[in-house]
Amino acid sequence: MADIVLDRVSKIYPNGVPAVREVSLDIKDGEFMIFLGPSGCGKSTTLRMIAGLESISAGQLSIGGERMNDVDPADRNIAIVFQNYALYPHMSVAGNLGFGLQLRHVPKAEIDRRIKDIATMLGITELLSRKPAQLSGGQRQRVALGRALVRDPKAFLLDEPLSNLDAKLRASMRTELIKLHQKLGTTIVHVTHDQVEAMTMGQRICIMKDGEIVQVGAPMEVYRNPANTFVAGFLASPPMNLVSGRLEHDQAGLAAVAGTARFVLPPALRDGYAAQSGNAVTLGLRPEDFHLSRGNVKLSQAVPVATVATEVLGPEVILVCELGGNGGPEVMVRCPRDFSASPGQPLTLHYDLSQIHLFDKTTGKVLSRPSLI
Amino acid sequence: MIESAHALTLTDRRDRRFGWLMASPSLALLFLVILFPVFWAFYTSLHDYTLISPNFDTFTGSANFIKAAEDGQFRHSLWLTTFFVVAVVLLEFLLGFLVALALNKVERFKAIYYAILLCPLLMNPVIVGLIWRMFLHPNLGIVNYLLSVVGIAPVNWLGSTKIAIWTVIMVDIWHQVSFMIVLLLAGLSALPREPYEAARVDGASPLQCFWRITVPLMRPVIIVTLLIRLIFAVKTYDLIYIMTRGGPGISTDFISYFIYRTAFVSLNIGEASAMSIILLGIILALTVYLYRYMRSLT
Ligand SMILES: Nc1ncnc2c1ncn2[C@@H]1O[C@H](COP(=O)(O)OP(=O)(O)O)[C@@H](O)[C@H]1O
Ligand SMILES: [Mg+2]
Repeated sequence: MADIVLDRVSKIYPNGVPAVREVSLDIKDGEFMIFLGPSGCGKSTTLRMIAGLESISAGQLSIGGERMNDVDPADRNIAIVFQNYALYPHMSVAGNLGFGLQLRHVPKAEIDRRIKDIATMLGITELLSRKPAQLSGGQRQRVALGRALVRDPKAFLLDEPLSNLDAKLRASMRTELIKLHQKLGTTIVHVTHDQVEAMTMGQRICIMKDGEIVQVGAPMEVYRNPANTFVAGFLASPPMNLVSGRLEHDQAGLAAVAGTARFVLPPALRDGYAAQSGNAVTLGLRPEDFHLSRGNVKLSQAVPVATVATEVLGPEVILVCELGGNGGPEVMVRCPRDFSASPGQPLTLHYDLSQIHLFDKTTGKVLSRPSLI
Repeated sequence: MIESAHALTLTDRRDRRFGWLMASPSLALLFLVILFPVFWAFYTSLHDYTLISPNFDTFTGSANFIKAAEDGQFRHSLWLTTFFVVAVVLLEFLLGFLVALALNKVERFKAIYYAILLCPLLMNPVIVGLIWRMFLHPNLGIVNYLLSVVGIAPVNWLGSTKIAIWTVIMVDIWHQVSFMIVLLLAGLSALPREPYEAARVDGASPLQCFWRITVPLMRPVIIVTLLIRLIFAVKTYDLIYIMTRGGPGISTDFISYFIYRTAFVSLNIGEASAMSIILLGIILALTVYLYRYMRSLT
């Protein structure tokens, strides 16, 4: 059992920087957990505290039910892949892989066998006699990963292991890691600032900001129900459009109004939000919830927009337009790849009202809504 | 390597000529004060040249070299110098590495430690010799006085054939150990931090970290430091001249001092030149090795 439990864990660096504040998290045995957040939000610090490389200022860390705050990293039996790989520069690839096993007095023949297995798995067999300086970034990354894998630890901690790779290699390593996790079933904590990695790899995402956890949940859960504007604006690319507006009562019922654009809330939502009527809110509109035609969207709201620009990505076209017509707030809309529009051209889009998100204007927190069918 | 002589443009060639022109005064000076004496010494070593009859009338070929090689005192000096060099370099290295490791962990007042360390290094060896000769004076020196305070009988630091060489070694360590410390410390502080973290997670103890990571990573710095110190130690002369004059007897008669005596006390310049050439050969071999090693690192 290697579930990792953080109970109000904090880290204050000697220079007074409060890098992590009261983080509580329960990482289950065998789970693939993602730490996602912008640079400097305390992801690495949290990971290093789990590994034992950084002392814990307050709170409690336990692994497999045992308190670990003061246990030496050597005795935690956890493997970490560092952001910068941290290979041993004077050792060959084989030496790098075998070092941890040698220290644990694994017999020589066994070490050789395991090195060979891992090298085959990662496709680095021809590199075994090379020094780290003679490897490319991607190869180093695989060696760093191999050094962690060869030891059969209780958990893997990966600190942005893919960030230095080119796009193609990154995509293939992403799949490799997912496969690896399925095969080994070992707990993995994967740190990243890349939301694509977060969405595609993890079973759960833990989103951090300024040293605090903002939201924890399965990727789709976090995507569907962002807890606040930060999560909403961070996940997915292009992210959710955040537009300031107000909740208003009119003859059609309760509507979220942003400039001249009105989104009349469906009856199911109306009661839940009625108390907020008249309040300033932030509307969260996902680019993929705008549609060019009503199609088979059950509850839709027609919104006039004015085209600003189009970005052709290949599989799709991103339409940048002004909500409600000229002079309105700018939003991004995902359109099919055959879409085209010229700047200034007015269009009518249909927004899927079941997917409207409303956030408190001042706190940024989501306004809890009654669940739809 | 590509020989680019053909590809030189006119500007390149003009630059190169200008470079030689600018360097020529120093080159001439170097030739005058280094190359010329070396050749002169070599030429002299092939002749029976003494200060009593300073002329090149008698060509003796390798006779001076053979005589030097057969000279028991010369061999004694060589052996003594080797002993001194090995002792001094090893002890300074061990002490220096220990201090450097300790200082590498220090965060505060680093500059002050550096300043204190550099003091002996900035002193002229002659001054160092004079100071220590006073400190170690058998009756008037402060060292024996301090020993007497704690009830230890006075030691004849420089007057005993058994102790004198160790006294010289000790003074040399006092004088030169900072050199080792400063160089090794620079090496240590330039080591990457990440492999240590990786090793800790891999399960290495501090001692294992030292032997398996620090030492191998420091190898180039260690070798270069040892060799530089070795080359300088072989040439030790001033300290001996001031402190013992090779004595008592010939117990601290190092090679450079012995050569000096052969030339200016025995007045046999020819033989002294032959010995110098042998010494030059030894130092040159060490230097070439050092140079090769440093080149192989890049
Ligand atoms: N050794 C350190 N000393 C002081 N402050 C640090 C140290 N390491 C990181 N920090 C600070 O702690 C905060 C969190 O850093 P980090 O955990 O590395 O963020 P992330 O990995 O999410 O980019 C940052 O503000 C950073 O400047
Ligand atoms: Mg980081």
